[in-house]
Amino acid sequence: MNFSGREAYKAELAELACDNEKIVCLEADLGGKKHVFQQKHPDRFLNLGIAEAAGIDMAAGLAEGGFTPFFSTFAPFAALRSAESIKLAMGYMGKNIKIAAAYGGVSGGWFGTTHHCLEDIAVLQSFQNVRIVCPHGEEETRKVVREAATSPEPYYIRLSRNEVFQSLDRNPNSSCREIVYQGNEQGVSPLCVISVGEQASELCKQIVEEYPSIIHAHVVYVDSVSLKSYVEELRTISDRFLVVEEHRATGGTASYLSLLLPECKVYSHDCGEKWPSYGGNHTDVLRYLGFGLQELKQQITDIIGEKNDF
Amino acid sequence: MNTVISETVHSALADYLTVLAKEARKLIVDMAATPTGCHIGGSLSVIDLLLSVYAKYGSDQNNAIVLSKGHSAAALYATLYLHGVIEENPAVSYGRDGSLFTGHPNHKIAGIPFATGSLGHGVSYAAGWALGQKMKGENGLGVAIGGDGEMQEGLCWETAQVVQAKSISNFIYIVDCNGGQNDGLISDISPFHNLRKMFEAFGFRVKDIDGHDFNQILSAIEPDPEKPLAVLARTIKGKGIKAIEGNPNCHYAKIPERYSNKWKRGLE
Repeated sequence: MNFSGREAYKAELAELACDNEKIVCLEADLGGKKHVFQQKHPDRFLNLGIAEAAGIDMAAGLAEGGFTPFFSTFAPFAALRSAESIKLAMGYMGKNIKIAAAYGGVSGGWFGTTHHCLEDIAVLQSFQNVRIVCPHGEEETRKVVREAATSPEPYYIRLSRNEVFQSLDRNPNSSCREIVYQGNEQGVSPLCVISVGEQASELCKQIVEEYPSIIHAHVVYVDSVSLKSYVEELRTISDRFLVVEEHRATGGTASYLSLLLPECKVYSHDCGEKWPSYGGNHTDVLRYLGFGLQELKQQITDIIGEKNDF
Repeated sequence: MNTVISETVHSALADYLTVLAKEARKLIVDMAATPTGCHIGGSLSVIDLLLSVYAKYGSDQNNAIVLSKGHSAAALYATLYLHGVIEENPAVSYGRDGSLFTGHPNHKIAGIPFATGSLGHGVSYAAGWALGQKMKGENGLGVAIGGDGEMQEGLCWETAQVVQAKSISNFIYIVDCNGGQNDGLISDISPFHNLRKMFEAFGFRVKDIDGHDFNQILSAIEPDPEKPLAVLARTIKGKGIKAIEGNPNCHYAKIPERYSNKWKRGLE
């Protein structure tokens, strides 16, 4: 465990490109100096400059020409500045483009609101046919990048900034499309917490240590097609779900799951409605937005009572 | 190909395209006479450019041709039909329930690599295709046919910046300079003071031609080995139909059948 998600992305892509000549790495001036892909494959590394919308459309041309372009920039610029290009090229026309979006959520901390993105999953979910993946930790990020490289589908990979996390244990042969579970081994729970992304997964790991009856379901793929594929399995676990996701409530994973599970109660632990206007580190900004362990515990208590009650 | 042979071939091709252009304009008029109507003004201004580009580059699979000013879809459909890329006469079902011939180009139709209509995107796509050809060491071209009004979109210039930065010399950008846009004349809305100099500043070779002269068009759309090419094709909105030629109000029209018959007779 050495790399943050975004560094793991670069490292894994550079390794994959040794055996896959179709892979092209596109950056928009935010990949950093001494980019490992550039060092290993300079002929397939293209820093397009600060040109996000053109970058996605050009990636479409590259994809049509047989390449597998990976385009990376920060999440607010990838998801919002390029939104129409993503809608048309990736959603509507299904061009085989992969976006790696660092600085997802408020992982930019003190960088400020322009560099935060609490809206990307909502925007991307509304563009049908794009896989949305939110890996946790280095191993899971590497696995997601490998899956994206071999899939013909467009991908949006949401990454954080520099924090390093240990991915949850999973069967090494399993796909990241499969849910990873932690906690209550009975297999049925009065409440299932569903984690999406790194901070959420860290919180939910702590919850199942303190609340033995709760099940933690960690999901990585959160596009509408993937969420539909989970619902039958989730129904066997609980009839109450609390989705923990570093995102707005509107358009987040909980909102679509609630439509897919109308007979269940679906709650959301999210970043609320405030704008992240202050500095601090990632955790500080999350705390300001009401996203954190104490707040999550309080929410669980509100849903199922004190932990000694169940 | 030496210059003499090239001019001979171009001359013969120009004669053929002149005949084809009459048929294409009739099809565009037919599409304007459907219940939905079409963007007739820009379709008639760009049609000679489209016919020329597809005649010269359409048969090579290493080339990508994109109509970025997608509102001129009627011209694109007519071009694909007359060049034999599609078999169905687009005017029969254009705009109707269940038809793929939508008001802006539909990528589900053969010969259309990218759905356009939201302006600027087709330019970037063609540049990306050209970049891919260059990276593969192939000789293919990326050809974008856009509008002068479209150039008000920042995306066009964002792409031009990347094109010059990455030396994408196998990219050809043809601008249908008909002087009009949806709400009127470009000169009344957001004029360009010197499009040639703007392209030159972005490192393009620039050619300024009569966009309805097939000999000029065919000669101008030869790629430059050193630089990306911009062709400023001076055209007339509504070209070929005297009743609407040069009138910025002909951007979009739905015309009665009696008009279409009269206008088509005028093309003979």
